[in-house]
Amino acid sequence: MVNDGGQLYTMEGVAAGLIMLLTAYIVISTTSIYTPGDTHIPDMQLEQLGSDVLAMMDTPNAKDDDKSDLERFIADNNSDGFRAAFLDYCNMTAGDTDDLHMSASVTYRSGDSVGEYQFVGADNTWTGRESAVRVTRWVQLSERPAVLPGVSIENRSQAVLVEVLLWRA
Amino acid sequence: MSLDFLAGFTIFMLALIMVVSMVPGLLAGLESSGIDYDAVAYRTGVILAEDPGWPVYPPWEMKTEAYKDEIDRMGLAVSKDTPNILLSTKVNAFFNYTFFTEDDYRSKAIFGDVPYSYNFSLRSEDWTYNNATGGTPPSGHGYIRRAVKIKEPGVANISYNSSFNETALDASKPRVFTVRLNFSQLLDPERGPAYRIDPRTEPVNITITEFGRYLNGTAAATNATLKDVTFWKMDPTTPMPRFTKIPFSYNTMDPDLYTLFLDRTQNDLVPGTNVSDNISLVLKPAATSIFTLDQNSILDIRFTFDDGVPQRTFMNGTYLYDYDNVTCPPLKPAVLEVAIW
Amino acid sequence: MACMNEDGQWIVLMGLLVAVGLFFLALIINQSVLVGQTTAEGVLEFPKNDIRDLREAVFDYVDTFGGANNLTTGAVRQDIVAISLERKNAVVNFSVESQVEVSGHYLHPVTIHYYNGVTEYNENVYY
Repeated sequence: MVNDGGQLYTMEGVAAGLIMLLTAYIVISTTSIYTPGDTHIPDMQLEQLGSDVLAMMDTPNAKDDDKSDLERFIADNNSDGFRAAFLDYCNMTAGDTDDLHMSASVTYRSGDSVGEYQFVGADNTWTGRESAVRVTRWVQLSERPAVLPGVSIENRSQAVLVEVLLWRA
Repeated sequence: MSLDFLAGFTIFMLALIMVVSMVPGLLAGLESSGIDYDAVAYRTGVILAEDPGWPVYPPWEMKTEAYKDEIDRMGLAVSKDTPNILLSTKVNAFFNYTFFTEDDYRSKAIFGDVPYSYNFSLRSEDWTYNNATGGTPPSGHGYIRRAVKIKEPGVANISYNSSFNETALDASKPRVFTVRLNFSQLLDPERGPAYRIDPRTEPVNITITEFGRYLNGTAAATNATLKDVTFWKMDPTTPMPRFTKIPFSYNTMDPDLYTLFLDRTQNDLVPGTNVSDNISLVLKPAATSIFTLDQNSILDIRFTFDDGVPQRTFMNGTYLYDYDNVTCPPLKPAVLEVAIW
Repeated sequence: MACMNEDGQWIVLMGLLVAVGLFFLALIINQSVLVGQTTAEGVLEFPKNDIRDLREAVFDYVDTFGGANNLTTGAVRQDIVAISLERKNAVVNFSVESQVEVSGHYLHPVTIHYYNGVTEYNENVYY
């Protein structure tokens, strides 16, 4: 028969193990919580700014303007004009200009499928590792873009979605 | 060495390890006020850019020093349906930092229990607006930037128009030139708030240029006497509507209510002086609110010229202050920045 | 402890007390970090800008087509529904009725439905 005098030591070991596990759990859960939180704030700021800029570009300056700037850029497939206007608006501050960069694409529907074409390409600050945010805006066209962007789009009244990727270099 | 001591020491070490691993967490806890600043800046940005403030009518920006307590919230938007379209009169009132104290900005725009420091700035693309209030932000401040557009009031530029040059009138009758504002037409919901002329929230600008061309050439007049400027109102919904003269302190010059410039010299509304070239009247919304007008009223602004016989001007008739005649300036792109720390 | 001199028990007790105290402190600190984080997450996850954009798109649609219901308007409506599902993972639907009189003005009753799996938004509005 084996002596059972060591049982208490076993229990103590188990208790200590439990405490260690609990400690490790608390430590990991406390440290891991705020790391993603840090990236949320700049994302939120960028997303708000991007949505604002798209909304403002889609607001005609006078009641009699039949098209907003944004509609005109899409209809004329004027990607340089769009990029310049968007970045001017985005980077404008009361002091120094900011350093934001963008690319944009337009999504359209053709039959049962949804297609997409690149509207503004990314510049050379894009490495793929930036934490970019995506902002979107609906644009309604009375016909397909007058200057075709190199894809076949049905010629009819339609709604397309402009998507802009925005990042800080 | 006793095992009890070992057990206690183990627990103590565990606790110590916890503390040490908490240390970055402790610092993050302190730095998280930075995160909090960003949240407050975001909230303030939303209030300023997307909310017209409270009270809405009469709007908060018209409150004078004595009624400042009635302002609950300072928002700059034209209406709650037009986020990011700011009204110029609200902007000018908001950045009037001789009127608002730091505590006002804290209690009516920022909110929160902590007395945050702040910096608000607004700059338009063409630099016509470049306002800022508050201190210089230190590093680690909360920040938000909103892209906005600023709506400015319309201006009625009345140059020479032969239909107002009524040469066939009786030579002795005083000339009455009327500018008519039909509120039901101006405030028609067909037109969105971003493009609306609303005399209740924005100043009415009337500028008569080329007044010299309305002068009585046959009498070789070089000027004419503007006897007075009077305000009349009519409510077409009442039975037998007619224009009644609005009681108003016409004799008092009050730049908060109106400004009248005759040939670029400021006057009250009963000038009785000669004018040869240029009449400019700005009627502030504070005055319009005294007139107790509603969305059906018709407001007449009557310029009466009287020189006896012969009259020295032919300017007579009714000019409609509406969307066809008044030029509304295009919305101005601008950027609104809020920094909180 | 097991069959031994028990003079050192207070050390164990103190260790336990300190550990429990620190545990609660850690909890409090944790909460303060969460405040800032949840604010940013709340802003990011509530699709305010998406809903607002959709509303304006629908109102644009009403401005252009009114309450008409034909091949052209059906195609535009299908654009919005299909692209929303494909690119924004949101189930979207809207309908526009013909004008009715509301306090002296003729307005279209518009219903808008939006659901992205987390946030659901329904609106009935006269436009």
